[in-house]
Amino acid sequence: MHILATEGLTKRFPTVTAVDQLTVTVGPGVTGLVGANGAGKSTLIKILLGLLPPSGGSARVLDLDVTARGADIRRLVGYMPEHECLPPDVSATELIVHFARMSGLPRTAARERAADVLRHVGLAEERYRPVGTYSTGMKQRVKLAQALVHDPKLIFLDEPTNGLDPRGRDEMLTLIRRIGAEFGISVLVTSHLLGELERICDHVIVIDAGRLLRSSAIGEFTQVTQTVEVEVDEGLDDLAAHLVAGGQAVSRQGRLLVVKVTGPESYDAIRDATAELGLCLIRLEQGRHRIEDVFRDEVAHV
Amino acid sequence: MSEIYDIGYRHYDGPRLGRGHSTRALAVHSLRGVFGLGRPARSKIVPFALVGIMFIPSIVSIAIMALAQQRGIPYSGFAVVMQAVVAIFLAAQAPAVVAPDLRYRVLPLYLSRPVSIAEYVGAKVTAMTVAVFALIAGPLTLAYVGELVVDMPGPPATGEYLGAMLMALVLSLLLSAFGLALASFTPRRGLGVASVITVYLLSSASVPVIYATFAETGNVETAKWAWLANPFWLVDSVQHWLFGTPPHSIEGDYPSGPVSALLLVVLLAVAMLALALRYRKAAAR
Repeated sequence: MHILATEGLTKRFPTVTAVDQLTVTVGPGVTGLVGANGAGKSTLIKILLGLLPPSGGSARVLDLDVTARGADIRRLVGYMPEHECLPPDVSATELIVHFARMSGLPRTAARERAADVLRHVGLAEERYRPVGTYSTGMKQRVKLAQALVHDPKLIFLDEPTNGLDPRGRDEMLTLIRRIGAEFGISVLVTSHLLGELERICDHVIVIDAGRLLRSSAIGEFTQVTQTVEVEVDEGLDDLAAHLVAGGQAVSRQGRLLVVKVTGPESYDAIRDATAELGLCLIRLEQGRHRIEDVFRDEVAHV
Repeated sequence: MSEIYDIGYRHYDGPRLGRGHSTRALAVHSLRGVFGLGRPARSKIVPFALVGIMFIPSIVSIAIMALAQQRGIPYSGFAVVMQAVVAIFLAAQAPAVVAPDLRYRVLPLYLSRPVSIAEYVGAKVTAMTVAVFALIAGPLTLAYVGELVVDMPGPPATGEYLGAMLMALVLSLLLSAFGLALASFTPRRGLGVASVITVYLLSSASVPVIYATFAETGNVETAKWAWLANPFWLVDSVQHWLFGTPPHSIEGDYPSGPVSALLLVVLLAVAMLALALRYRKAAAR
C-alpha cells in the first residue's frame, strides 16, 4: 500500500519551477526526502498538504487526491514546519491542547493526548512554562508534539534537525525512528544531509531542482557509497601511501582520510597499516555521505 | 524527578469533530487571549483595567438614579461618551488577537489542519467582536438592571436599552473588523497598537476640522457629514435613524440616516476585504 504517490507532479512559480514532473511513491515507514536548499522539498510538502495547487500532474496522500480532498488529508496528517512557528507567551501544554482541538479532538481527549504526546517527545515539568523561555531543542520538540497530537497516520517533518547541536540532533533522530517503528506512524522527513537520514530511514528519495534524482531503499544507498573516515595524529600521507599500496581506494579530505569499504578486509587493512606504521589513531568513523556524493554518482551513471 | 512509567504509544480512536468545532475552539482561544486568560498576569492588567473604567459610569448612574431619581448617561449615548476607552481597548487588544500568529509564523500550524483561512479569519473577527461587545454591553446591562431595581418613576427605558445593545453589537463588529485589519498589516505588536490608535485619533480629530471648515463657509448642512468620519458617531447616527434616539453629537444633528447605514455597510465590507486580502497573502507564504 502506498502512503503517498505523485504522478508527473509539477509546480511552477512565476520565476522558478519548484517541482518538475515528479513521479514517486512512498510506502509505510520512515522515508527521507533529501535535497539541497531550494530543491523543492518544502513546496512538495505544501502540495501534499493540499495547501498549494499543483500546476500539473496529480498527487494522492493516504489515497486522497490533494486538490479535491485537502481538508480530509489535513485531518489525518501532521506537519512540522522548518521555520520557527511558536508563539512565545503561551505554555507548551496550552499550545498543544489548543492544536489538538484545532484538529477536531474534544476538550478532554485533547488534554489527555497533549499530556501523552509531550511525554513522548520528552518535555517534563518545563511544559508549563512559556515557550519563549525554551531552548532550540525544546522548541523543536514542541513543534513535533503539535504534529503528533491528533494521532495522524502520516507526518511531514521539514528539516527537524535544523539548528540543533549534535546531541539534540541524535535525540531528534532517535525520536523520529521511534515514531516510525513503535508508534506506527509513517514519516516523511526532509533534510539536506543524507548521512543523518541514513540512520533512521527505510527509504530515501533524492530530489534536485524539483526533479527526482533517485528513489530507493536505504540498503542500496549504503552499499554504493560506504566509506570510513580515518584520522591519525600525524603521518597521514604515509598511511595513505601504505593503504594505496595495499590496494585500497583512498582519498584525502583535509585532516581526514576517506577509505572506500569493499568488505571487512578494508577495516583490517586500516588497522594493520596504522599498527605497522606506529601511528596514533584518533578516529575511525563511518563516512558521512553528503548530498554532493549522490549527485556526483548520479552524474557518473549518466 | 519522578520516574514516569513508559506505557508506550497509545493511538487515539475517539471522535474527530468537524470544522465547526475547530472554528469555535479558535474563537474561544482568541477571546481568552484578548482578556489575557491563560497568559501571564501582566497580560490581564490592561484589558481588566479598561473593563473596570467602563463600569464606573454605570455605577454612578445607578447611584444618581437611587439618590436623585434622575438618569445618568442615556443608554443610547453610552458608547459615544465612552469612546476613548473603547478605542484604547481596541488598540491595545486587537494586535494580541492577530499579530502573534503572523509575527511568529504560527499560521502554517493552523493551515495544516482542516480549518480554512476564511474560518480562521471569521473566528478571529468573532472573538474580537464578542470582546468589544462585552466591554460595552456589560456596563449597559448593569445600568439597566440597576434601573429596574431602583424602580424609577415611569416605565423603564427597555426599548432604548435593547436598541443600544443592538447598536453596540454593530459598533463592535465595525471596530473589530477595522482594528484587526490594521493590526494584521502591522504584525509587530507595538506598531499595531500605534496604528489602530492613530487611525482612531485621525478619524476623531478630522471631525471638528471638517465641520469647522464647512460651517465657516456657511455650508452647515454639508458640515453635518463630518460626524460620520468617526465610527462611534457613525453608528450613533444609524441608531438615531433606526430608533429615533436623540443624536449624541457634540452639537447639531446628523445628515440623513439611510446614507449613514449604507456608509456603515460599505466600511464593514472594506475592512473585511482588507482582512481577506491580507490573509490570502499570508497563507500563500
